Amino acid sequence: MDDYAIGVLTNITLFSFVALSAYLLLIAGEMSFGQQAFFGVGAYAGGILTALYGWPLPLAALAAVALGALAQLLVALPTLRLRGLYFAMATLAAAEMARILFELLHWRRSIDGELAGPDGTQGFRGIRWIFEHGIEPLHYLGIVGVLLALVLALFLMLERSKLGATLRAIGQDPELAAAVGIDVQRVKLGVAAAAGALAALGGVLYAHHNTYVEPRNFDIMLGVHSLAYALIGGLGTALGPLLGVLLDIGVLESTRFFQGYRMIVFGGLVAVVLIYRPRGFLDERTVQWLRQRFT
Amino acid sequence: MAKTALYLILLALPLLAHAQTPSAELRCKASGEDFVYDCSIMLTRDGQPLAGAEVTMSADMPSMPMAHSVRPAKAQPGTKPGEYKARLDLEMLGEWAIKLRLDGPVRDLLVLHYEFDSKGAKPSMGGHKMEHKKH
Repeated sequence: MDDYAIGVLTNITLFSFVALSAYLLLIAGEMSFGQQAFFGVGAYAGGILTALYGWPLPLAALAAVALGALAQLLVALPTLRLRGLYFAMATLAAAEMARILFELLHWRRSIDGELAGPDGTQGFRGIRWIFEHGIEPLHYLGIVGVLLALVLALFLMLERSKLGATLRAIGQDPELAAAVGIDVQRVKLGVAAAAGALAALGGVLYAHHNTYVEPRNFDIMLGVHSLAYALIGGLGTALGPLLGVLLDIGVLESTRFFQGYRMIVFGGLVAVVLIYRPRGFLDERTVQWLRQRFT
Repeated sequence: MAKTALYLILLALPLLAHAQTPSAELRCKASGEDFVYDCSIMLTRDGQPLAGAEVTMSADMPSMPMAHSVRPAKAQPGTKPGEYKARLDLEMLGEWAIKLRLDGPVRDLLVLHYEFDSKGAKPSMGGHKMEHKKH
């Protein structure tokens, strides 16, 4: 496999984490434009822990995931009272606040005689754990791929569980769900924390793949794309967001056929899909049909 | 005498470490083909040209991370010592983070920020400086 293919597959895999985090909120009935903030929290936290304090990546990733969960929980506590568009706008505002905080973050330490760490708008360079441990890009793709497979397995288990049915019930009709005794607010807070953790996991993996991060990495483009991938791919299964990422990065981007116009094509695709298939290609009805046909 | 030599070695160690720090400067010109640039990379270490390195250049857009997959280009040695040449095929104009992976006598990763326009590229966000660490 050449460097280009490895790069494309790594990007697809990394983007899938943040797309899945947007998907998790969508199936619970909430549309977030702010998952990039928690992706950023994971990236910065993981990078600081490995680059400045010498933590091993697995441990730093666990801490970053916990921090991502906590950060989204804190945002969710006041914002989950809002509905629909208001919640979406609140998540976007929170994400912009996080991005500005990253711009203000100066956490520099002398490492081997050189200053390292987040330096505001200049970004955070030198997140080199992967490089220094001799992990080659193909090997790293394998690690990230295995983690994504584990996350997907958890999603598929969730969707077949009672909790999965509860989430979809809340997503379809929260009042009805509350009427049958579901603590909607509590479940949604749990979902928010899980979505934050998932985005943060993607972030810490991205930072170590890229070796540097900067506040602009976590602006609205990332949030809109992750949401669009979940919506295009479909809300019927966790494989939907992956399909969305594959369509954009795997097909539109890697073929380079639409060079320079890809964003226009992608925007048009989003509009068409939302008109004709408002819950994406792999919506609940399609997934049901596929299950009946193949099982 | 032995003590003096030891002190001198200890004093020289940071200098030796510093000598291993590479630096890079990029010059790119539009090739005439849309978004394709012919780039010249000047690698130096402690002010001296760094020859014999294997250089792979790739790019990512800071405002759209992971959304672009630029084909990595292996640079060929240029005519001057420390010079390497590569062709960069981008997807659009704007600011790109150029990643240089060095193998060979020095193993390192450098990240440079450059603004690409219809004529060429100029450093942005301190892009003329390099990110480095000894190896």
